[in-house]
Amino acid sequence: MKTPIDSFIDHQALTGMQCGNYSIDIPKPKKDEQYRFHFDATACVGCHCCEAACNEQNNNSADVKWRRVGEMEGGVFPEVSQLFNSMSCNHCIDPACLNGCPTQSYIKLDNGIVFHDDDVCIGCQYCTWNCPYEVPVMNYDRGIVTKCHMCVDKLEIGETPSCVQACPAGAIEIEVVHKDEWIKNDMATQGVAPHLADINITKPTTRYTLPTDMPQYKPADEHITKPAHSELPLVFMTVLTQMSVGGFVALFLGEFLSLLGFSNLASGNYILAMVVLLPALLGLPLSALHLGRPLLAHTAMKNWRNSWLSREALALGLFTALAMGVVATYFFQMQFLNILLMLGALTTGVYGIYAQSQIYKIKARPSWDRVSTNKRFLSTGYLGLLLVGFILAIEGFANSSMVVLSLTLLVASYQFLVIYEEKIFYKYLSDKEKNYYQLNKTKYLLENNFQQHLKIRCFTLIGFGLVLPLISILFLANNTLNIAIITLGLSLLGATTSELLGRYIFYVSVVPLGLAGNFFAGNQRGRDYKENGHD
Amino acid sequence: MIKKILNKFINNDIKEDKYAYSKDLKFGTIAKDKAPDTWVRSTCGYCGVGCGLYIGVKDGKPVRTKGDPSHPVSHGTLCPKGLTEHEMVVSSNRVSSPMIKKDGKLNAVEWDEAFTHTSNKFKEIQNKYGKNAVACISTGQFLTEDFYTLGKFVQLGLETNNYDGNTTLCMASAVMGYKQSFGSDGPPSSYEDFSYADVIMLIGANIADNHPILKLHIAKNKKITGKKPKIIVVDPRFSKTANMADVFVPIAPRSDLALINGLCYIIMEQGWEDTKFIQDKTSGYKEFRKHIMQKYPPQEVAIITGIDVKELYEIAQLYAGANSALSAWTMGVNQSSIGTDTVSAICNLALITGNLGRKGASPFSITGQCNAMGTREFGFTSSIPGYRNFANDTDRAVFADIINVPSSLIPTARGYSYPQIIDAIDRGEIKALWVTATNPLVSFPDQNKLRRALKKLDILVVQDAFMSETALEADVLFSAATWSEKEGTYTNSERRCNYAKKAVEPLGKSMSDANIVIEFSKYFEGKYELLFQNFQSSEDIFEEIKKVSAGQLCDYSGMSYKKIEELGGIQWPCNTLYPEGKKRLYTDGFECKTEDGKAKLLALDWQPLAESCNQSFPLNLNTGRTVEQWHTRTKTKTITLLNDLAPQAWIEINPLDAKKLEVESGDKITIASSRGLVDGLIVKVTQVVREGDCFVPFHFSEQLINAVTIADFDPKSFEPNFKQCAVNLYSQKHPQGIKQEEEKVVAEIAYQSTKVSQEYTVAEVIKKEN
Repeated sequence: MKTPIDSFIDHQALTGMQCGNYSIDIPKPKKDEQYRFHFDATACVGCHCCEAACNEQNNNSADVKWRRVGEMEGGVFPEVSQLFNSMSCNHCIDPACLNGCPTQSYIKLDNGIVFHDDDVCIGCQYCTWNCPYEVPVMNYDRGIVTKCHMCVDKLEIGETPSCVQACPAGAIEIEVVHKDEWIKNDMATQGVAPHLADINITKPTTRYTLPTDMPQYKPADEHITKPAHSELPLVFMTVLTQMSVGGFVALFLGEFLSLLGFSNLASGNYILAMVVLLPALLGLPLSALHLGRPLLAHTAMKNWRNSWLSREALALGLFTALAMGVVATYFFQMQFLNILLMLGALTTGVYGIYAQSQIYKIKARPSWDRVSTNKRFLSTGYLGLLLVGFILAIEGFANSSMVVLSLTLLVASYQFLVIYEEKIFYKYLSDKEKNYYQLNKTKYLLENNFQQHLKIRCFTLIGFGLVLPLISILFLANNTLNIAIITLGLSLLGATTSELLGRYIFYVSVVPLGLAGNFFAGNQRGRDYKENGHD
Repeated sequence: MIKKILNKFINNDIKEDKYAYSKDLKFGTIAKDKAPDTWVRSTCGYCGVGCGLYIGVKDGKPVRTKGDPSHPVSHGTLCPKGLTEHEMVVSSNRVSSPMIKKDGKLNAVEWDEAFTHTSNKFKEIQNKYGKNAVACISTGQFLTEDFYTLGKFVQLGLETNNYDGNTTLCMASAVMGYKQSFGSDGPPSSYEDFSYADVIMLIGANIADNHPILKLHIAKNKKITGKKPKIIVVDPRFSKTANMADVFVPIAPRSDLALINGLCYIIMEQGWEDTKFIQDKTSGYKEFRKHIMQKYPPQEVAIITGIDVKELYEIAQLYAGANSALSAWTMGVNQSSIGTDTVSAICNLALITGNLGRKGASPFSITGQCNAMGTREFGFTSSIPGYRNFANDTDRAVFADIINVPSSLIPTARGYSYPQIIDAIDRGEIKALWVTATNPLVSFPDQNKLRRALKKLDILVVQDAFMSETALEADVLFSAATWSEKEGTYTNSERRCNYAKKAVEPLGKSMSDANIVIEFSKYFEGKYELLFQNFQSSEDIFEEIKKVSAGQLCDYSGMSYKKIEELGGIQWPCNTLYPEGKKRLYTDGFECKTEDGKAKLLALDWQPLAESCNQSFPLNLNTGRTVEQWHTRTKTKTITLLNDLAPQAWIEINPLDAKKLEVESGDKITIASSRGLVDGLIVKVTQVVREGDCFVPFHFSEQLINAVTIADFDPKSFEPNFKQCAVNLYSQKHPQGIKQEEEKVVAEIAYQSTKVSQEYTVAEVIKKEN
């Protein structure tokens, strides 16, 4: 008679499949090969066993799902089709999480598994933005991002990954694939599934078996259009740094003009430089607050070769240092060094803001991935010009202030054009547009949830960014300096608020690419997926 | 909060504490935080599939469950409920102490106080109103040992036969259907048959949501037979299960009996029946044939079912043409006022095509609860333990003799069924109710009527491991141990008796259900001595069950805990003839328990619904389940992983109906019948239901759909017709609800006046249809 077995690691369950068994018999990947998932959508019954097994195996709480089952439906009764897509990580050949990670926390292992190195992650969550499948997920318990590693510790010693073991339909399997052949021959036909991102973004390796006749599928969470997280530290950080850099543009122009012989204009001084630097000094540390591990913020520069986030951190870090040098050289009146440092601050600053805007130019987030993002970030610099104009007025340099304010008007108008362009873009959004599903949801958010916000944003920009500076010029020209100072102060406060509001809308209205979700739980991603999820 | 912020700044990764892995000798790499001290081999306590699992125990608490790959049912897999079952045991919804209600509030008391109070009350009521004024409603969740103990005490200790199980809400029709067709209850099939059948017909069975592990057996089919089986799914709703169908048969709600009879017609008309099998193994063919040929021609059936004649022929051909066809059903069939006859009709179809007692060829009821089978066999509700008949003198005498009680003590008839008990409470005939491990305040139809009735009770005693909605209303609460805290057996759909080992101690003061009953019996003079003197352990109870079952169809006499555990469960009958059990009933040489040993072909009729859609209530409501929740959510609502995916009820409506109400997915609407209403139901606009139908899961007390359902019962099984009743939907823009469409009324009248037209030949009908 049989007895209960001491170890199941090598015991073969009588399933005839990979499922059920705690051990797996699969050859190690050879050169140019890697492990990958095969998902058979014709076998899956949408039972969520894989999700539960994964969370149990990795001791993740319910709001940290490495594997999720997306649900879709198509057709007309009774010719209906339901499609389930159980997805963890696609262990891509060109992983966006890895490419964008500022701290190089991702490693593409020799066996192809995209592995997250927990120890160096600072919890910046840039990978959660970059992955077009929303695979990496923040674990607030740990302050870092985590993700599926295909149970690599198990797989390497012949144990079955948990999801594969748990699937009662045998719908999830592990296979070995030749990477080049996959990209060249099969990815375009077998690597695709309804409602998934363009395979060319990351070159995913998951092989799909799909039903032969597929209707147009609709995700089960189509009705859920929730604002994204507001990222408040980033709202302040981006606007404030852009303000500082804008201010330095004004300072530099002043020095440049005086070199050209415009000697009646006010020259820069250390107070002016200090005031202009102040927003950046406030804003940069703020950005660390959104990190899971703020004290490791400095390591964010590590991946400057690939990641715009690293480049931003590096450039704006340098900008701050150089700008402090500028303040010092004004104070000690070291003119040559001052010019040199100012040139450096200007270059790193402008490049930093460009890099900052490039962070958002990612395929996985269509509403951000537009040229308007670069324009928006760079032209918010008018706040810096306005600040300089304001200080100059206080210092009594009415003429110089007027020059700077003219420039302010020019740049602020450009910012207004950016908003207008966005309004027109969404107004005439065509369903032929790539990523229409996501962009249309952004449109919905802008036109419903944030309609009032957007209105206020427009009026405040016109009022405080354009009309008040114009009036201030009038008062300056009229030599009623005190009134000009008041209107300029108001203008500065109002315009800054307007920009902060605009940036807030920018963050909350993004709708990322990702897996089709569930009727109630949606995509099971994002900080607000469950209000108290991480408490 | 401060700790959280502090943690954030000191970068204290808790990886090693919480997210590291460790090596387990039995299962390999597992989460270190949940690495158990010991693994206890046991059986899942949720549904009737009966999966084998290991419970990981750490510091006296269950921390993990792992599928047992050597178990013949689940082969190492578990559904999401099974995978998180350990969380259920430590749920915040558990009851840890007996309680008595004082001033409207339940207070924890000692067992002695609870038992004294209750026994005094029971005795007082029985003295005043007679023994039968105390009633008991049991469950499908107990271990067989619990069932047997409770049944013995209620029937022979309390001496009331007003005792029934909640299995009347789920499996009663299958029981009565089997009795009609085969002379006895007992599913004749094995899960293995899913792996061998050429054709699998699932009728009113949503296995994808309710029994996902059965998909494993279907998935194995291709590996074993070399080809994928043809799957026919008969359901008015395109369920997750329908998605796996080769042929989806979208029948009109509750028209399955007509469909099955229609298929029989076509098979006999075309000469596709198995004449030899019919002759050797069945009785009543002549009358059956006459009945069917007279009343169920395809054109008639097409009108009732909404399935066109051509398709009926195709289904019949597919089914009859299969070497082995398995027809499995669940609640879509059972929960119907003609459930018993529908079950027998399915048996008829299997019988005329010779699909019985062979690999992959059988009718097969899939059970809902983990031990609905145990209560059918030994629960002492609708029959005397061991499939014995109350009305049979010999059965009573034999049973009394085995358990050593006077045979006069054995009731001569079944008492009130579950719905009859509720009616008797309403009439004032029953004054005390003892409810065990079931939650009628969510699960029973027509809640308003039920709640009115329960208010009339002198005492409501609830025995449960969880603070259910019913427990909250109890006067006395007996706190019970649950799965993993007690030892015994569960018998699954395929007659497999599985061993559930105790892994941890019961929570707080709670006791196993059998122990509660045994201790309670000591408060009734002489009853403990009469009934339970030799019940010192679960195994003692099992030994008596074995004795009671010996020689019966559900024969456990060859089993022992040790043997069950070693074999991964044993399918009864298990005796000297079948020492390791038997995969199928009614194989060659295995006779039915009828007078002539043959299965009966029965002439059965489809009946229209008691409540059809009308002017005020033009839609039909269907209720059912979802994979994430278990029944009334007492066990699953605190398991976040499951509950997040289905945190509240929803209503599925067709886009055409959504258009009439001007609602979209995510909006809220009201549903009402003439009996009650539910507010604030989240709309899910979907093509899985047809226009005029809607579906709401019944799990949720917050959106109590059983306030709307109808108290219409099968006269043979007393099972409620849960899945069809007339409702209307009301949205903000249409507070008057949906208006009935004219042509629908016309069609119904037209149908009722239609006389069966015999003139058409089948060929003509097909031509016409095309």
